[in-house]
Amino acid sequence: MQPAPIYIVASPRPRVGKTLLARLLIEFLYSRSRPLVGYDLNPRESLLAERFPKLVWPVDITSTRGQMELFDRLIADTASTKIIDLGSPLFDHFFDVIREIGFVQEARRLSMEPIVLFITDPAPTTVRSYAELRSRLAVTIVPVQNESVSVMFAKEDFQGTGPECGMIRIPRLSAIVRGVIDRPSFSFGAYLAKRQGGPTEIHEWIAQIFNEFRDLELRLLMGRVNSSLGRGGKREDRSAG
Amino acid sequence: MSKPTVIVVGADKGGVGKTTVARTLLDYFTAHHLPTRAFDTESPKGTLKRFHPEHCDIVDVTSVADQMRIFDTLTSADASVTIIDVRAGLLSPTLRALRDIGFLDAVKKGQLNFIIFHILGSSIASLNEIEDTAAFAVDSKYFLVKNFINNTSFFEWDQATHASYFRKLKDAIEVTIPKLNEMAYEQVELASVPFLTFVANKGAKGESTNYSFVLRGYVRHWLGNVWGEYDRIKLNELVTSGATPAQAPRVQAVGRS
Repeated sequence: MQPAPIYIVASPRPRVGKTLLARLLIEFLYSRSRPLVGYDLNPRESLLAERFPKLVWPVDITSTRGQMELFDRLIADTASTKIIDLGSPLFDHFFDVIREIGFVQEARRLSMEPIVLFITDPAPTTVRSYAELRSRLAVTIVPVQNESVSVMFAKEDFQGTGPECGMIRIPRLSAIVRGVIDRPSFSFGAYLAKRQGGPTEIHEWIAQIFNEFRDLELRLLMGRVNSSLGRGGKREDRSAG
Repeated sequence: MSKPTVIVVGADKGGVGKTTVARTLLDYFTAHHLPTRAFDTESPKGTLKRFHPEHCDIVDVTSVADQMRIFDTLTSADASVTIIDVRAGLLSPTLRALRDIGFLDAVKKGQLNFIIFHILGSSIASLNEIEDTAAFAVDSKYFLVKNFINNTSFFEWDQATHASYFRKLKDAIEVTIPKLNEMAYEQVELASVPFLTFVANKGAKGESTNYSFVLRGYVRHWLGNVWGEYDRIKLNELVTSGATPAQAPRVQAVGRS
């Protein structure tokens, strides 16, 4: 049985496309009929939860009660794929709690695999946060380049935690098209399925990102296969995460 | 077989977390497979006994009968470690009683290990207690415990005051108990089980339970830190061999902030 992924969409910086990536991932998984649950950890502005009210729950993890609401639910449901949209103000707090309560070990014990999709940008604080996260938490981290945020991707600053991680690239969209996908009623999956009047910029953009997700799933699967066959080295054991 | 060890956990002030520290000690020795018994002096209704009913008896440490029950059985009991959770206000009288019954002489002769965990409160009064108890602690291992579990801030202790008191105790060693998440602490209280049992998600009778994973995680992490302190002072070695904690930092030089 394959471990159920827990995708954590994260960045220490605001407005880098975390909610957009979480939206895309939800629609990708939904289009493949995967059982999934989302958690919106943006207490001030729960845009993801508003967009998917039946799939995504807003949670405030600044309180212990909120942490129980999130982490106790995460480990209670071992079958669904989970997507967490982690608001930037809670970046450090979230990973501190994860470390302290031993969430990663417990998730793995229950055949779930936390995967951080880290949206990169060239700011020194982001580079530092990435390095700290890598050194402090033994978890799979996949760097994501959102071309609307950073044109260049400094590979040496954002190395994945294993060869299977690679990276995810979100191509830049023109401003007009961006306005279309930001509409509350817009659905990537539905738009892709309709193909009204042949492929458009949006079609290509969505298809490209969904391909990135497919590639990531395949790479992670191959990583697990190689690991179980004793190839590709052991996972780095960095700390009690 | 190692010498019998008596650990007194006490303070003259109430509400500083004596029983919590005694509970962590019982869990620590359980995890190290050291047979341990405990006496709760909160007669008639003991708090320690509520959490560790199998290892704990309630006694009145000022009564001769109960003193006999504790100290006359030190060498014959199955447990090599005896923990006495001394009720608020009874630390000095208990230490005096130990002197009077010749217990401290036996310690001096090396027949017994004697360890004192003196739990400190935030007030200057707590520091004054040190002077009273230190006189009885000459041949014991004397640990001064700063307990942050109930969010105590040692606000009355400026560096100079702290140093002046602690300088008088050249062999005392400082131990810090960190704060535990309030809700986690409350849940363990409600469950009335040892911390270890809570972490293992078990009830008082060993049955499976459904405590919050988050709260169990907080307790596990906290207990690990507390035991880290006990490892630092080489507590396990102290009770198994009676050796002096060679590497543990001395209090008078610490002045921890």
